[in-house]
Amino acid sequence: MNTLKRDFTTTTWVLIPVAIAINIAIGTLIYVLKIPFVYLDSIGTILVGVLAGPWAGLLTGLLSNLIWGLSGLNPAYTPYFIVGGVIGLLAGLFSQWGWFRSWWKALLAGLITGIISAFISAPITAYLYGGVTGAGTDVVTAIFRSLGFQNLAANFLQGLTTDPLDKTVSFLIVWLIVQALPLRFVARFPRASSVRKATV
Amino acid sequence: MQSFSLFAPRNSFIHRLNPLTKLSLMGFLLVGGLFLPGIWSGYLLFLLVLLPLALLGKVTGDLVRAAWKIVVPFAISVFLIQGFLWPHGTPIIYIGPFSLKAEGLRFAIASTGRILIIVSSFLWFSLTTRPDHLMTSLTQVGFPTNLAYVIVATLQIVPRLQTRAQTILDAQRARGVETEGSFRQRTRAMIPLVIPLILGSLVDVEERALAVEARAFGHPGKKTYLVEIAQADWEPLVRWAILIGVVAVVAIRILFMLGLT
Repeated sequence: MNTLKRDFTTTTWVLIPVAIAINIAIGTLIYVLKIPFVYLDSIGTILVGVLAGPWAGLLTGLLSNLIWGLSGLNPAYTPYFIVGGVIGLLAGLFSQWGWFRSWWKALLAGLITGIISAFISAPITAYLYGGVTGAGTDVVTAIFRSLGFQNLAANFLQGLTTDPLDKTVSFLIVWLIVQALPLRFVARFPRASSVRKATV
Repeated sequence: MQSFSLFAPRNSFIHRLNPLTKLSLMGFLLVGGLFLPGIWSGYLLFLLVLLPLALLGKVTGDLVRAAWKIVVPFAISVFLIQGFLWPHGTPIIYIGPFSLKAEGLRFAIASTGRILIIVSSFLWFSLTTRPDHLMTSLTQVGFPTNLAYVIVATLQIVPRLQTRAQTILDAQRARGVETEGSFRQRTRAMIPLVIPLILGSLVDVEERALAVEARAFGHPGKKTYLVEIAQADWEPLVRWAILIGVVAVVAIRILFMLGLT
């Protein structure tokens, strides 16, 4: 309970909407510019996890999909809010364990998170959406289906072709940002000590 | 106040309803779409419940257009992939070397119906509800004010951030960054865009935190509200009825599942 109070300072509460807005802005940009292989729609979530802890990250991830859905642009992606929450939670945990102090550990954390997120999105796609999402990645799903895989397995395999890469890149970007921020700014966040040394 | 929402102001019966009632209606439609048995239940709910609600709310045109854009690509995908590639399915139509499987077809019909009702319920709700009124009525029944702040603030910040992203994109273009063309070029254009965008937004955070604290953010205790969200006397009763309806739907589903085994 004490950790929650320490993590959820006013600065954290104010960071969360900005982080969700970053998720939506960059995610939309990637979509509009048609950049393949990545979504980059969880950078804000990961950032909150790193700077304010796993619970704040969890909350940001959960709210991000829900709010994006409320806006009407992407109501189909709303049920994936569980995945968003898990990404924030994992980012916070990895940061707590010091994995964001070096770039290659952050990269590895991203890879692991990507695999876990593919694992969690697969049942949602398979059971709620009948195995497809209406996006270009359905082609990959189709390939796996034609090889005889059940819906759940096909979705998981399709997720493995995109999520680990996307999360690895996102985690790296967050690592870069957190190292590039001025120390005086980072120090305002509750979990700053996980990512930067206290001395200048 | 330009906010990131689909809200379409109209003078309609639905718009005058309390946001909590509309929220319960949307909840009922979602539960119904997900739990009612049969592959046509999504379509029935859409035609018999949602379309009348949309007509009452005078948002039918916007709703159908927005839902079409999302449901049609999905439907094409699901019919093609599940219809033709269902492993060990019983073929019913032959098109060249490919065959449409019966199980795949049924699955595709059910999935599209589900997507239709999920997407259109959200759209109906967003089109007829002002986000800030929704948050005010939620906080009045106990929703945490900090969370309500997060949601309202996000809806206001997103358009500002998107304009800022466009500005940064234009500024970088003026400095010769190539934003069109090959995939490598577009990806390389992202870095001088993403980093300033994020760093700039984070600097904002400090100012906002100070501004919000100066207005007693997170201060414990009862708050009074500037805006009174109206509700008719019969609305709480309707909400209770909807709750009973939701329980009934889940019960029907459970009975159906037990009845089959």
